[in-house]
Amino acid sequence: MTKYNARNLLDNMKVMSTDAKELGILDNILIDSRTGSILELKVLPNPDLDTSKYRREGDYIILPFNSVSAIKDYVIVDKDKAKTFITK
Amino acid sequence: MYTELRSYFDRDIYTNTGIYVGKVVDLLIDVESQSVTGIVANNINRDVFDISGDGIILPYRWVISAADIVLIRDVIRKFERTDLD
Repeated sequence: MTKYNARNLLDNMKVMSTDAKELGILDNILIDSRTGSILELKVLPNPDLDTSKYRREGDYIILPFNSVSAIKDYVIVDKDKAKTFITK
Repeated sequence: MYTELRSYFDRDIYTNTGIYVGKVVDLLIDVESQSVTGIVANNINRDVFDISGDGIILPYRWVISAADIVLIRDVIRKFERTDLD
């Protein structure tokens, strides 16, 4: 079971997709305060990233947490699952 | 209710009976279950928790609600010493 400290994750952790593209820097994590379920990642996108395929909120892009495939030195997100979120 | 995780830091923790527990310093995240599993707290109320270290980890299942403060279930009484004699 892999457990992480939230402060470490929110300390300029970079987010990368499975096609080795750097998406940006993790800014915040959105959770359901009652159940503790993690719902979404709020990412400050790289300036050269085409954000049109992602759900946007102001200057940030929102990625569903179920697109996360691994977390260690980077947060790795599945490129397709991260993009399909725009249907909402 | 959607809450940004960063906003939890430095919030006070109280039980639903109004007893101060401590302050949030960090949260523990389990990636496999996609959930927050624990709250790392310091500035602990020593009348409630008889500890020697700096802080404790509270399981997130104790949390009732979190907004301006974090409200947890009144689990304190369950740890009270009961003298039978």
